[in-house]
Amino acid sequence: MEEISEVKGQAAQDRDASDEHDTSKGKYMTFKSGSEYYGLEIQYVDEIRCFQAITPIPETEDYIKGLINLRGKIIPVIDVRLRFKQEPFEYNDRTCIIVVIVKSTMVGLIVEKIAEVVEIQKENILPPPTIGRTGKVQNKYVYGIGKVGGTVKLLLDADKLLNDVNTAAAEQTNETNLNEE
Amino acid sequence: MAEEFNTEGMLDVYLFENEQLLEQLQEIVLDQKDAECFDQDSINEIFRAMHTIKGSSGIMMFDNITAISHKLEDVFYYLRESHPEHVPHLQLVEHVLEVADFITSEMDKIRNGSTADGNPESIIKELDKFLDMIKKGVKAEGEELPPENVHVEPQQFYIAPVATDASRFYKVYITFSPETVMANIHAYKVVYAMKEIAEDLLYSPEDIISDEESADVIMKEGFRILLQAQCTEKEIRDLIGIGYDIKKVDIYECKAEEFLRGFDFGEQGPQIDLESSVEVIEAKAEKESEPKQAEKPKMAPGDFVIQSKEPGKPKKLAKDKSKNEKAAFISVNVNKMDQLMDLIGELVISQSVVLQNPDLKVPGLNLSNFNKAAAQMAKISTDLQNVIMSMRMMPLTNLFQKMNRIVFDVSRKLGKEIEFEMVGEHTEVDKNIIENISDPLMHLVRNAVDHGIETDAERAESGKTEKGKVTLSARTEAGKVWISVSDNGKGLDRAKILAKAKSQGLLEDGKPESSYTDKEVYRFITLPGFSTNEQVTEYSGRGVGMDVVIQNIQAIGGVLEIESTPGFGSTMTLKIPLTLAIIDGIVMETGTSSFVVETGVIKSFISVKEDMMIHEPNGEEYVMIRGECYPVLRLGEWYGLKDYQRSVDKGMMLIFEVEGKTICLFVDRLIGKQEIVVKPIPSYIKKVKGLSGCTQLGDGSIALILDPVGLIE
Repeated sequence: MEEISEVKGQAAQDRDASDEHDTSKGKYMTFKSGSEYYGLEIQYVDEIRCFQAITPIPETEDYIKGLINLRGKIIPVIDVRLRFKQEPFEYNDRTCIIVVIVKSTMVGLIVEKIAEVVEIQKENILPPPTIGRTGKVQNKYVYGIGKVGGTVKLLLDADKLLNDVNTAAAEQTNETNLNEE
Repeated sequence: MAEEFNTEGMLDVYLFENEQLLEQLQEIVLDQKDAECFDQDSINEIFRAMHTIKGSSGIMMFDNITAISHKLEDVFYYLRESHPEHVPHLQLVEHVLEVADFITSEMDKIRNGSTADGNPESIIKELDKFLDMIKKGVKAEGEELPPENVHVEPQQFYIAPVATDASRFYKVYITFSPETVMANIHAYKVVYAMKEIAEDLLYSPEDIISDEESADVIMKEGFRILLQAQCTEKEIRDLIGIGYDIKKVDIYECKAEEFLRGFDFGEQGPQIDLESSVEVIEAKAEKESEPKQAEKPKMAPGDFVIQSKEPGKPKKLAKDKSKNEKAAFISVNVNKMDQLMDLIGELVISQSVVLQNPDLKVPGLNLSNFNKAAAQMAKISTDLQNVIMSMRMMPLTNLFQKMNRIVFDVSRKLGKEIEFEMVGEHTEVDKNIIENISDPLMHLVRNAVDHGIETDAERAESGKTEKGKVTLSARTEAGKVWISVSDNGKGLDRAKILAKAKSQGLLEDGKPESSYTDKEVYRFITLPGFSTNEQVTEYSGRGVGMDVVIQNIQAIGGVLEIESTPGFGSTMTLKIPLTLAIIDGIVMETGTSSFVVETGVIKSFISVKEDMMIHEPNGEEYVMIRGECYPVLRLGEWYGLKDYQRSVDKGMMLIFEVEGKTICLFVDRLIGKQEIVVKPIPSYIKKVKGLSGCTQLGDGSIALILDPVGLIE
């Protein structure tokens, strides 16, 4: 009972938060991963950090690289390229960690290069073409294609990026955690 | 309603206060349940608690709570004023607890957002009967019946006028609907609302807070208010509003002289200025339980007569209770505490980052002043850490009190006469731990009362003369808290447990029953669905319980030990860590990762030679140490880490002992012993077997905390 209301409360909060960030509406943080540029709604982005040492966690999905220490807070980081089932890449000094908060889960995203913050109007966002691409896995994270000048950014669904297939599993672990606490 | 009572914030305060009052109430009642009667202090205390609950519930309009607390208050009013003899004490105790339960359950409903719709009728009837009974008991003795809730003082509050030309004077008459309960509380609400606009306010009957009779007076004669304010009649009407409780409001404007003349009594009460008026009324209500003479001199002589007896001394002093020193407390949001705790944890870490900074290692630096300052800072941060830890520590008293209640309830229902003893209830434990052990402990105590202790007849048969007794004790030992529940009942029945285990197919094939140690046998009862009780009772016997106990205890890093002597009772001991937040750990490395293990579970560190290893064909490994053979777990291999030490000669073996099982953990090297702040692994990452959390090390890097129980599995 309490749990449900908590979840509801959280959802409401999230909505409030997005209302609050009205000014940031239509703005996207863009970054490069592989050969493409991706965009993430800026309201999810908490901060950007240079690459730092990661403590690996055994027995997890390969895209979860481990934990980092963010001023005393310990947060998980995931490698966006591995998440998209692309080839792994060497981390260097251009590598960044974008810290995002989605539904009060804080996660770091490892990306090759941060690009810029761009504003994309609604009319410039197209639904992703499905013909011929349906087989590709990455399509499920991309909810739209934004046109900026002559270039194209793939707009990511932050929620799906973090928890897709294993949403149920994640919830389950959450639940067991709660029970144990 | 005229003034919008902000019930949101008020509701929280209401629930919080009442919860505390009820806890206090139960503590008093249980403390004296074995006495012959309540002593005067307790009666006053209970009376006061009920009075406060009644008042606040009235304002919050929870009529059923108001009604029931009012009734119990009546009972205690009677007890307080007339000291009746031959009060059936146990019955009284039960009534009080019943009322406390009712209010608690109603408050739970309110907290969950549903309406408090419980019907107090039956309990009220019982209380009425009880009150009648004790009254008759007194009559039989030929004593004079004291009048109920006396003192009808026609005393008024007169508020010094701050008259301006714009002020107008009104007479307000309010009539309440005939079915209104507690009209005085409703009247108080009106007064409270009016205080906002009033320059001067006078009302009759005057003592609407502490005097029960005033409700009847209001019902009969209406509630009269004299108001001086700069507002129109309509505004006053709006302010009072016509709710379901108010039938009619008459407002007449009058002249200043009329106003000063007051009500028809024509007399004036003591003067009280507007600022303090409501506080004074409230203070009076609180003071009510104090000796009445205290307030008498303030009133004009002859204003009212106190007919009640002197509170005096109790007839039988139930128990010499040492007056607890009143300490000043504030309640703090737990989140804030956690935040402070986190910050201090970070401070400690950043301190070590500063003090062990590589920049300081430049040769030729004179650091003597720096070192002095650093030492001072280290001392302060250690103190800070200790203080925050002690702030989280709470005595087990409340929890034990709760168990007392359970023993009382269950034993009464089962018809067993059981004594309950508490030892070391002042032992302090982290708040988190208390929350986590409450349920397991409840199970154990119930089991002890229900299964452990025999019925009175059985006891007599087996020649036991002493009463059944359950002892709950707590002590700290070796950095852990030991909480044991012992009973002097029949003990665990080894044969019965074995038979049951056999029927459930839990026994190993070919192992003779006699070769099971007692400990092994007793462990069966902690398995899910295992109960030797043929009959399912209200309290236990369904076979759920002990496995839940074990699970909950293990979740916080504790263990359960069972000892039992047939015919003489059994003892269940919980050994749990003092705190979840900081543990003493050994830091070690494997490959490039750091791990931490709680110091308590490590038996020894040993460096072994290759020739001590035994390899099984299926890949399992054992090590022979001092003639004993232990299974070996290579941490690097287990977690598939990179670059870990493969050669046994160059690594280090840690011998763990958990729950009677011993294993060897092979790691690359040891780093040191350290106090670590435990943090949960983010829930985004699914649970990994053998890991219980993570922590930050002095250099800011993260180490994973190993969970020995998980590793052994």
